[in-house]
Parts: sequence; structure tokens; C-alpha cells
Amino acid sequence: MKVITGVVGNDIHVVANRLIDLSLRARGFEVFNLGVNTYLEEFFDAAVETGAEVLLISSLNGEAEGWGREVKALKAKYKTLDDLIMMIGGNLVVGSGNAEDIVPRYKNYGFDLVCHQVDLNTGLDLLEVFIEDKKLQKSNK
Amino acid sequence: MSQNKDKLLIDVGSTYFKVSTSEHIEQHFRDFNKDIFDDLKYKCGEIISRYAKADVNICSSANGGLSALIIGVTHTFSLKFATNIAFNSGINIIDTILYQNIEEYSVPSDLVDVVIVVGGIDSHSNIFSDSLYNYLAQLNYSNLVFVGSEQEASSIKDNIEHAVVLPNIIDDRLHIVEEHLKEYLTNLYQQDIEGKEDIKNLYDITSNQIYSTPYIVNKALPLIDARFSIVNPFILLDIGGATTDIHYSKDLVDDNIVTENEYDRLVFKKLGVYKSKQSLIFAAKNNEFVYELLTHLKVTENIFDEQSEKATKVLMQLAVFLVLCKMSHYKKSYINLKLLAVNSIVLTGGVTKVLAVEDIEYIISFFYKKILTSDHNPVVVLDSNYDIWTLGAQGNELCQ
Repeated sequence: MKVITGVVGNDIHVVANRLIDLSLRARGFEVFNLGVNTYLEEFFDAAVETGAEVLLISSLNGEAEGWGREVKALKAKYKTLDDLIMMIGGNLVVGSGNAEDIVPRYKNYGFDLVCHQVDLNTGLDLLEVFIEDKKLQKSNK
Repeated sequence: MSQNKDKLLIDVGSTYFKVSTSEHIEQHFRDFNKDIFDDLKYKCGEIISRYAKADVNICSSANGGLSALIIGVTHTFSLKFATNIAFNSGINIIDTILYQNIEEYSVPSDLVDVVIVVGGIDSHSNIFSDSLYNYLAQLNYSNLVFVGSEQEASSIKDNIEHAVVLPNIIDDRLHIVEEHLKEYLTNLYQQDIEGKEDIKNLYDITSNQIYSTPYIVNKALPLIDARFSIVNPFILLDIGGATTDIHYSKDLVDDNIVTENEYDRLVFKKLGVYKSKQSLIFAAKNNEFVYELLTHLKVTENIFDEQSEKATKVLMQLAVFLVLCKMSHYKKSYINLKLLAVNSIVLTGGVTKVLAVEDIEYIISFFYKKILTSDHNPVVVLDSNYDIWTLGAQGNELCQ
């Protein structure tokens, strides 16, 4: 399965980005890593060019809050990305915040999976479960 | 201007011929009632007769270049990569089409020399469908090249007669692969020259390949230190009669295109002071800062209707201003340059015969203050003796 990943906005957390890349590969995903300082449009465009099924955005400095608000409107401009699984993880706010507030907010932005300050492997476990559930739902239709 | 070997270098522009020997350089205004070859022979016949065909090198931008239409699936990868390759091959792009919205685009009425279709990495399939073929069926074009996913190639070939399929310009890491398309477009340009009566006669006086002028100028840029005191990063503006070319250091762009080229090229097709004068004036009138600039230059818009040296000078100054605007973040375009990081601005082409360094500095300073609200002042370098062109032509000669 193809996954696009990268760090959104003006965020240079390259180590985290590399760890996500390695962990995804270890789990058998085909990874297209756009690296750090990536704009939202580049993520969606990469999904179109590769036919990726998953978009995993990471954000460590809290910039995701600003970019996240634009996800729904931007994704709506693409005609082939309706089935794209949208996941975001990292430190998703500036300062402190609790997951109970943050997760619904990001889901409202258009993300299927939101992992705020969640351990990487736990987050990727959630992704695999989500993919399996989605497959099951599809086969039941 | 200096040459190591005694070669004759000829540049056929849209407005002027430039002829360079080891001793001197001369330029002649073209007679548009004459065939290019006849006009050149009439004006420079004596010099030409002194050189063997093997010692004559010609470049030309006079045949207008090739027009290209690019159809791609995203702005960030397919369209951007193909645009970059086309510009660097000396091609003029008339439009780019985002494939998912292809049905919303109007079909150009003029003949398009080459259509470039691109999209998807090689492992991606089912990208293009009937909407592409329906659009192409309405389009009048001479060549079509497909440089997208290899899994789409057979269906493209089945549906489009005479489609040329080349290796994908997007690799599996979403990086650009430029050589195949670049070679194809450069060869197409060559065939175009050979097919045009006006230009092909030039092969009567040279046994060397005739290149496009922007290709030659781009070749000169890594060698530019040999002739000028230029501090990187720099941009080079070639403002001529019909088009304006910009060559820029790759350090001035933040983008996802990683190639071995140190310099890229961009062309504004309808921005010139002779053949494209009307479209230059149109672009000027649509720029909100131009009237302030005219006041700054102590002229009124009536200058647009004048035929005088002063009017040409103002048009050249406007061209410099408009090009900088188009390349800045003030206008969102294919590429925006980090103009605050520019250390030198080099000008070549017709502009060097009309404007002095102070005239250009005046405009550049206005641009930086007004558009970028900065006191930044890059050094202006004027290539008034066509050194860059001769440098490129010689460099190219040495490479062969």
C-alpha cells in the first residue's frame, strides 16, 4: 500500500520524519517521503501522481493547526482523492492541550485518524486497524 | 569580446542580426521584407565569405521557437517538471492544462507544435481517460509526446495516432528526470528550423547545428565569471524585440526540482519592445504600479503612442519592471524568485543598446522599494557587447 508522508509547513523536524519513514517501510508500506517544510498542496499532488491510498502528515511544532484548517477546502478541489485515508500525528497544537479537544477538532478539519502526542508505533497500529476496517466495510457493501 | 579561434558567430534575433568575429562585433536591424538569409547576405556577405562553413556558428530565436501545450495531472509535479524541461529546451509554452479539469479549458485555435502529456509514476495506472482523447481530438497539433506513467503508454498509443512515448519524467521518488524529454524537444526545435524556409537556407553558410539563442545563453552562465564581475545568485534578463527570457540561479527558488542545471530559464513570450510592443503596453496598463512609475520617469501614458528614442527607452524600462513583477511573490506564477537574495542583475539583448546602467538602476530601485518594500539594490551588469552570447557560442563549440 502506498503512503505519502512528510512534515507540514515551516517545520524542519527531520528526525521524526525519518523515523516515520523507516517505521512505515518496516510494516511493508511503499513510502513516498516528501520530507520537511512541505506545503499541503504538495501532499495532495503527490497522492494524485502516485495513486497513494494513505496520506500521513506529521507536525512537531504545532503548525498543523494553521494548515489543518485548509485541508477540507483544498482536498475538495481534487476529483480523485475521495478515498484517500487522511492521518495526522505529532504535536498538533502550540503550547499545551488535551487530546479530547484536539482530536475532534482535527477530525472536523477532514482527518480520519488523529494522533496527538501518541507513540509512533501505537499510531501506526491504529492506521493498520483503520485500513483493515475500511477493507471490511468495502467488502461488505 | 574576445575569441580564441577565428570563428564567425551569428545570432539571428527577431529584430537584429548580431555578427561576431575575433576582431569585432556588429549588429544590423533586420529588413522584414526580405528573407532572413538574403538579408544577412546583403548586410554581412563580405564577412561571411571569409569563413569556411565549419567555422560559422549560428543561433536563432527568429523563427519564434516551438509552441507547446502541456497537459499534466498536478501543478507540483507533472506540470511543473514538464514546464521546467520545456523552458530549458528553448520552447515557448502557450498553456498548461490540469488534467482533472480538462473539460473546462478552451481549445487553442492556433496550431500547437507539440503537446506534452504527463502524469503519474510508473506504478500508477488508470490515470487518463476519454476526456483526454476528446480534448485532443479538437486540438490542432503537429506532435504529441507522452512522458508519464509507463502503464498508461499503451492506451495512449492506441488512442492517439503518432504519439511518441518517452520514459517518464517523474521517477519513483517523485524526482524529475529530464534528459529524454529535453533531447526530444531540442531535436524537434532542430527539425522545426530545418523545415522553415527562412532559417534552413542558413545551412548554406554553416555546417554546424543551428541552436536556439536561449539554449546558447544558458550554456554561457556557468562561465560568466570569465567576463563579468558577478556575485551569485544572479538573474539574467534578455529583453529583446519579441520575447523576454530570464535565466536564474537555482539558489533563488525553493522547489522540488533537483537537477544538475545550475541555472533555469523562463520565457515571457509576448513581452518585447518591437514585435511584441502592443502586448507589452497592454501588460503595462494592467499593472497598478505602472502609472506611478511613469510619473517617476516624468512621462505620461501618451508615451505609449509615440515613436521616438525616448518612447523606446521608457518601454524598455517598463519591460524590466514588469518582468521583475512577474517573477516576484507579488504575482503568483509558475515560479517565484527570492528577489531579495539576488546580488546581481545582468541584462543582455536589445535592452543594452537602449538603456544605460543608471536607467536600469533607477527602475530596479523603484521595483524593490514599491513592490518588495526594501532598500535592497542588486548590482546591475550590462552585457552591452554581447559577451554572454559569444561566450555561450564558444562554449558550445568547445563541447562538440
